[in-house]
Amino acid sequence: MLSIALIGFAGFAGLCLSMEKHFNELLKRKPSGAQVRALRIGGWLLLALSLVLAVQLRDWALGLVEWIAVLMAGVTLWVFGLPYQPRLLLGLAAASVLLGPLLAVIGV
Amino acid sequence: MKEGFRQAMAWLHTWTGLIFGWLLFAIFLTGTLSYFKEEISHWAQPEIRSHQLDPVTSLGLAQQYLQSNAGNASSWFIRLPNEREAALSVNWRDPNAQGRRGFTSKALDAHSGEPVEARDSRGGEFFYRFHFQLEMPYPWGRWLSTLCAFIMLLGLVTGIITHKKIFKEFFTFRPGKGQRSWLDGHNAIGVLVLPFHLMISYSSLVLFMYMVMPAGILASYGDTGGYFNDLFGRDDPPAMTGVAAPMAPLPELYAKVQTLAPGARMGYIQIQNPGDSSARVTFTQAAGDHVAYRRSANWTFDGVSGELLRQGAPESAAMMTAFSFAGLHMGNFAGPWLRWLYFAFGIAGTAVIGTGLVMWLGKRQLKHAKSASLPGELRLVEVLNIASMSGLLLGVAAFFWANRLLPVGLQGRADWEVKAFFLAWAVSLVHAVLRPGRKAWGEQLALGALAFALLPLLNALTTGQGLDQSIAAGDWAMAGFDLTALGTGLFLGWVANKMLRAPKPVAKRAPRTAKASAEVVEVNGC
Repeated sequence: MLSIALIGFAGFAGLCLSMEKHFNELLKRKPSGAQVRALRIGGWLLLALSLVLAVQLRDWALGLVEWIAVLMAGVTLWVFGLPYQPRLLLGLAAASVLLGPLLAVIGV
Repeated sequence: MKEGFRQAMAWLHTWTGLIFGWLLFAIFLTGTLSYFKEEISHWAQPEIRSHQLDPVTSLGLAQQYLQSNAGNASSWFIRLPNEREAALSVNWRDPNAQGRRGFTSKALDAHSGEPVEARDSRGGEFFYRFHFQLEMPYPWGRWLSTLCAFIMLLGLVTGIITHKKIFKEFFTFRPGKGQRSWLDGHNAIGVLVLPFHLMISYSSLVLFMYMVMPAGILASYGDTGGYFNDLFGRDDPPAMTGVAAPMAPLPELYAKVQTLAPGARMGYIQIQNPGDSSARVTFTQAAGDHVAYRRSANWTFDGVSGELLRQGAPESAAMMTAFSFAGLHMGNFAGPWLRWLYFAFGIAGTAVIGTGLVMWLGKRQLKHAKSASLPGELRLVEVLNIASMSGLLLGVAAFFWANRLLPVGLQGRADWEVKAFFLAWAVSLVHAVLRPGRKAWGEQLALGALAFALLPLLNALTTGQGLDQSIAAGDWAMAGFDLTALGTGLFLGWVANKMLRAPKPVAKRAPRTAKASAEVVEVNGC
């Protein structure tokens, strides 16, 4: 469940950064077109990956429920945490990209 | 045309939200507490100790107890202890009883099999029942709460239509900007947790569809009784033979169920005609074993020979759809982590309603910022906002304090706890009438902060099962309750502190005219 949460969290972080307004605010520079595209595609891919993992780990019924639950929790944390702890959340998102798949491999 | 439609939806959102918001807030808060119904009940009846789970031994103890204390009953019910319920519950029905009456319930200690004389309390069951019956006579409470569920669904749909920048502002929350921040918060919690909000309000309607859309049922069955018999299976006891016969040991039948469905947890076990040669034993799988709220997973045995007589047939697709919504709503299947998320999303739903109510008033208050007092209708909304939100929290706290302070032997004790809940709620209404708005908020929240933060201490002093004991014993239901109460107290204290401090100057809005005009349109839309 934790791996799914982390990968989904990173996915939403990517989608958020793919919006010029948020990229500007968080990273203090303008994103290039390629960056925006990469973030958008990467974000969606991570979300899709977390869904596949959730279904694989828990089957459809519980997998879908858990996937939606951890996604909602992650993105709510992201949105309400950003104004207060942007650097911490960016770091957490970066760590999730690495840690999420790692945990998925050992099946957590 | 399109703008007109959106304006109409905004109007509907604003006014249904105001009228039903107060009640919806109470329904959402108590419903959220119901995700920890068993844990609250465990805290409310600390006499029932939790033990390592051992279904086989427990079942044997239950059978022994019922055989020696309810040998002549017409039926027995047994509920085994599980991860969330400490008690081994037994119920039986008096043979001469009529209708639904004549039930006796006992909570047994899961290890000794001895009855536990726990204090009389409705515990988590009170909040659970309140969230869909509102302590009103049947069926009015159910009707009203179902109507509220419909209004909530309506509020979500009209809210989405009103919210123009649902994707553009998907990740947006700007704190510290007064009315703007409230709207951001309201929108963000609404949108980000939307799947939960939609599920919970739509599934409420599915749960009560026999009330909301009864035409199909009435046309085919004439009344709802036949429909429920078809849906959940008939419960007619076999005819008594009058020949006494020794019962098969229940632990053996339990073992048979385990070979049929390895690892299945049991919900309840029903024994019809115990001690008679026609005895029947039915095991029903725990609701927590599936996401869908299935009733079909059951096994019926001959109570004497122990032969398997029948198994529940799988549900049709339509039934599975309805049961899936029911299961998602109740969340019986959720383990600890998922249960906490359910709880958090429930709080989120409560917060959406609360922020909506605050904004309705805040926006209109701005126009009267300079005058000394609010017009009567706005003052009425203010008083009801305070009483329905901070007052309700005080009611909940009063319920728990009453649980620990009322004498254990008091006649009608459980009812007194409920009275304490309503009494505190009513007093908070009076207080809100008497005190100016901001002070009333601050004082009630501060009292709430104290009441919740001191609950763990009260628990430790009155039961000797305070945090030091419960954590050491690994009783996480008890410890979790205390810690949650403490956390709630700290949070309320933080909010109370904000309210009691001098308000920040509100005049910040005036200078931004050109830039604000676009925003104002949207703020006004809500």
